[in-house]
This record gives sequence, C-alpha cells and structure tokens, in this order.
Amino acid sequence: MTFDLISNLALGLAVALTLKNLWLCFLGCLIGTLIGVLPGVGPIATITMLLPITFGIDPVGALIMLAGIYYGAQYGGSTTAILVNIPGEATSVVTTLDGHQMAKQGRAGVALGIAAIGSFIAGCVATIIISALAAPLTAMALLFGPADYFALMVLGLMFAVVLARGSVPKAIAIILVGILLSTVGTDLESGEERLTFGWTEISDGLDVAVLAMGLFGFAEILRNLEISQARDVVRSAIGNLLPNRKDFAQSAAPIARGTLIGSILGLLPGNGAVLGPFASYTIEKKLAADPTRFGRGAIEGVAGPESANNAGAQTAFIPLLALGIPPNAVMALMVGAMTIHGIVPGPQIMTKQPNLFWGMITSMWIGNLMLLVINLPLIGLWVRFLKVPYRLMFPAIILLCCIGIYSINNSPVEVLMTAGFGLFGYAVVKFGFEPAPLLLGFVLGRLMEEKLRQALVISRGSFMTFIDRPLSAGLLVVSVITIVLAVLPAIRKGREEVFQEAD
Amino acid sequence: MSQSPNRRPWAGSAVDVAGGLFLLAIAALGYLGGFNLPVGHLSGIGSGLLPKTLAVLIAAFGILLIVQGLLGQGPALERWAIRGPFFVLGAVVLFALTIRWGGLLVAGPLAVVMSSLGSDDTRPTEIAIFAVALTLLSGLLFKELLNLPIPFDPLGLIPNSLTQAYAGAKAGIAGLFAALKGAITR
Repeated sequence: MTFDLISNLALGLAVALTLKNLWLCFLGCLIGTLIGVLPGVGPIATITMLLPITFGIDPVGALIMLAGIYYGAQYGGSTTAILVNIPGEATSVVTTLDGHQMAKQGRAGVALGIAAIGSFIAGCVATIIISALAAPLTAMALLFGPADYFALMVLGLMFAVVLARGSVPKAIAIILVGILLSTVGTDLESGEERLTFGWTEISDGLDVAVLAMGLFGFAEILRNLEISQARDVVRSAIGNLLPNRKDFAQSAAPIARGTLIGSILGLLPGNGAVLGPFASYTIEKKLAADPTRFGRGAIEGVAGPESANNAGAQTAFIPLLALGIPPNAVMALMVGAMTIHGIVPGPQIMTKQPNLFWGMITSMWIGNLMLLVINLPLIGLWVRFLKVPYRLMFPAIILLCCIGIYSINNSPVEVLMTAGFGLFGYAVVKFGFEPAPLLLGFVLGRLMEEKLRQALVISRGSFMTFIDRPLSAGLLVVSVITIVLAVLPAIRKGREEVFQEAD
Repeated sequence: MSQSPNRRPWAGSAVDVAGGLFLLAIAALGYLGGFNLPVGHLSGIGSGLLPKTLAVLIAAFGILLIVQGLLGQGPALERWAIRGPFFVLGAVVLFALTIRWGGLLVAGPLAVVMSSLGSDDTRPTEIAIFAVALTLLSGLLFKELLNLPIPFDPLGLIPNSLTQAYAGAKAGIAGLFAALKGAITR
C-alpha cells in the first residue's frame, strides 16, 4: 500500500517534473494569480477566461496548467482579500476579517506571507491525502451501480442546499433550475430535442463555460458597478514578508487545525470546501485565549482559514477524480475543461491514464511550492496591479471574457448566450438566489438523469432499486437526514451564525 | 422587528414574491419547451419526464415562495440598475455581432468603449487609448502567441505598409517567438 503510494508519486513526479510541464505549471500559477488578483474575479471566471489558452497543449499538460490556474486564482483571491478587503469568492471572505486589519496595521506582508506558508503546508498535506485516498476510493467506485451514483449525487446536492446561504426552499429551487437547464438540448436516448424551442444552436445543449461565465463573470461585474468603487487598497507599507518567530508560534497550531478541517470538509460532495475557512475561523476564535483580538488583525484568523481554504480546494479534486462527480462549481467547470481535452473524469482515469492522474496530483504539490516562490517576491507587483482603477479594469475583463468564450467554439452565438446568462445571473442574485448551486445542479443534472434512467432500466422500472441496494439506500437516508437537519430551527440558526461571522 | 422604521406599507418580503414569480416564469418556459415530449413509463423513461417534473417542482417552489413572501417578513427588492447591465451586456452583444465581420480590431475597441459607458467615472481620452492598447495586446497574445483562430483584421483596415513592416519585424523576432512557443506547446 505505502509502496504503491510511493511508486505512484514517483510516476507522477516523473511526469510533472519534465521541463515542459514545470513550465506549464509555473505559467498556470502565474496567470491564474494575475487574473485571480483582480477584485471580483473568482476562480470560476478566471478558469473560463483562461480555458482557451490551454487548447494547443496535450491533455496532461493542459490539466496541469488548469490546476495551476485554479490554485493561482485561489491564492490571488486571498491576496485581494488582504490588500483590498474585497473577497474574490466565498472562501476568502473570512480572510478579509483579520487579513485586511493586519494590512492596515502595516503587516500586510506578514499576512500574505503566513497565508502563502499556511496554504503551502495545507497543500502538501492535501496532496498526500489525495494520493492515499484516490486508490481505495477508485476501487470503491467500481462497486457503484447507477442507482448508487444517483443517490450519491442527490446527497451532494442536499449538501449544497445546506451549505448555500439564504433560505432552504430558495436553494432547492435554484438547484432544480440548474437541473432543468441541463436538460436543454438533444436527448441522448431518443434523439428528441428538448427545450430548444427549435433553436438549432442549442441542440447540443448549453455549454458549462457559457453558463459559468454569464453567471459568475458578467453578473459579478454588473453587481460591482452598483457598489461605489471607493476601493480601500492598503496604503501603508507592505512591511516584512517573512513572519517572525512569534508569528510562527502563534500560527503553527491554527495551520495544522485548518489543514485538517479543510481537508475533511473538501471531501464532502456539495461544496464542503466553502465551509472550511468559516469553520476554521470559528474554531480558532473559540480556542483563543483572547477572542477579542479577532477582527483586529489576529494572525491566527488568517493562518487557519487560509490553510483550510487551500486544503479544501485540493481535496475537492478527490470526488472528481475518483468518482467523476464534481463536488462544487469550480470542479464542475473542470469537468467541462477536461471534456474539451477529451478526458472523461471518473474512476477509469487512474487505471487507464495513470500518468495523467498522478502527474496532475504531484503537479499540485509543485504548484503550491511555485505559488510560494512566485507570490512572495511579486507582491509589490500585485499591489500596483490592484491600484488600477475599476473603470479600466472591468472593460478589460469584459474583452478577455468575450475572447475567451468566442475561442472555445469559435462561435459568436455563444458570446450572445453568455450575455443572456449574465442578465439571468443578475436577476438570480437580485431575487435572492445563489448562482453556485445552480451551476452544480446544471453539471450534475445530466449525469443524474443518465444514471436514473440506467438504474430504472436495470430494475425494470421499479423505484425499489434505490432502497434495495444498501449503498444507495444509505446515501439516500443520509440525504434525507441532511435536509431535515437543515430545516430544523436549531441547526438553521447555527448555520446562519457560521455565515454571519463574515458580515 | 414588528415596526419597520422606513414605513413600508406592506410587511411582506418583496424579494421572495419576486423570486417566486421568477421561478414560475422559468417553470412555464420549461414546461412549454418540453410540452410535446413523451413522458414514457418507469422502465423506459421518456425524454419529457424530467423537464416536466422539474417544471412542476419549480412551480411548486415558486408558489411556496410567493406565499411565504406575502405572509412573512423580509427584505425589500433591491433596485435594478439599468445603465450598468445595458452597456456591459450591450458591449458583449456588440462584440458577438462584429467579431466575424470586423475581427478583433473592430470588435475589441467597440466592446471596451461600450462597456466603459456602464460606469460613471469613465474618462473619454483615457478609455480611447486604453481600448486601442488592449486590443493590440490581446491580438498579440491570442493571435501570435497562442495561435487561436480568432479573426483579427478581416477588413484589411491596417494599411499595407504597416502590415509589411510588421511582417518584417515579425520575421526578425520569429526566432524569439518560436523559442517561446516551443516552450509552451512542445
């Protein structure tokens, strides 16, 4: 077992350490950070925008680069959270609390430094967890029948409901809308066109990148334009980058706890990773000798959540790689990216393309190292970048988005559709829904319908198959418990409190 | 909480009611779009089963939200901006309409300038220079470095002499590009 692990990692290193792949990993991290640093551009928009860059590259290299873009964007978001107090995405909301305070006190460098170091340690641990868990999980996946897959995805969506902000009915409804959108296009079994209204452009179905860019790229810009653009870029000196001995002593335990919490939550289907930073922050505050320091620049409040964030961001790859089920919206987009490169995520990757699988996993570790090396010396550059006024930034983002979407299929119609989904996404947010569960529902919807149909064909139309199979029955029971708990008033209150921490 | 300070005549939640109506509209669209599809039976699910079931469920949640919004309390509906969405999304539409015909050279500056009108602190000269610079830069990046098949100047707007000068310069630095590209795509 351990020997397997080592030989697998060795195979991965052999792939990831080639000059070309190292370069791609570096490039991905760098460009990912560059775009991710832009305020209001989260990992989803970043990946969609940069997807066409990877087109000319072989699948292994492309995936390594995309993974680099992903955690580069993730780290870029933290940089923005600390320096400008604008979180790039939900998971870096917590970082703004103490990180920005530290920055205001002239300790931006230390905050960024500890975030990078914490993320690196978390990334190392998460990489080992992925390598250790991937093989057993993949073996387990072979036991999964269509009914079990269906039940697992139901569970994932239930988790997404619990983890979404706002009311439970709204979260369920918006996931259903996502699934409905996934049915647009030609039905795979009968060849009939569904919900296309005779429009041939969408007979192949909606593209996940188009939907994601509209919902997360454009709608985000529209919302940013409404808020007054008085950005609070840190004016005081960045200060020392390396934390001193006291900082390290204070951060060591939070980093360890954050890594553990983030790794476990990242494994959960339905965007468990988003919970990691919140949970870590709450725990650190509870454990602290002097909780009043939190919110006023406590280094533990940066070290813990940032570690949890990065650990969760990486272990989220496990459900995708081992089971082929994306646990959150970013991973949903990775499915789209993989499909473009002709890779079908799932248990068969590890057996059929071990070099791709292990190469990508080891490149994550190398990527984390690179982030540390790239980011710390370049912080001055990011600061200058952040001072570019938003009035110039957003037209540039719009142009890059347009070029990105056009280049995926060389289709002007898809650009038009993205604009439509931008308006749709704006409405979704204005009506108090969250766009992330919608995207997850969209990606899982297609898979769910396929598995549902397969399961019912096998069982000759009996729904009992979902209850007779122990795996599927167990997963469905957990789903029901999850949703019941979410509706119970006591838990609901707790759930609100966790998210309120950020407000 | 019983007395809201800003004297709203109706205590319900406008966001929930509007959200419910929004869901009803989506459900109606979904149901109509799958209207003629067969539902099938359980051992052979038809293509229409899922869209129709989903539409019904979404409609149910829509009604639930409307009732909840009418009875309960909650936030009012946020104001919708007109200017931002109009110019920003309009810029995207403009890009889509002009990219094939005029290439990046036309679509790029159009999209940048049009979207910039969505913000009220845009400065004319600044954005004009920025639009041109950005278009040329992205042309260089996506066309030359990444070789994406996006049209750049199908109308031949750039004068011949300039194109030739560029071709000469390009030949000069072709070695550099080849080395870079080799490093990226090998």
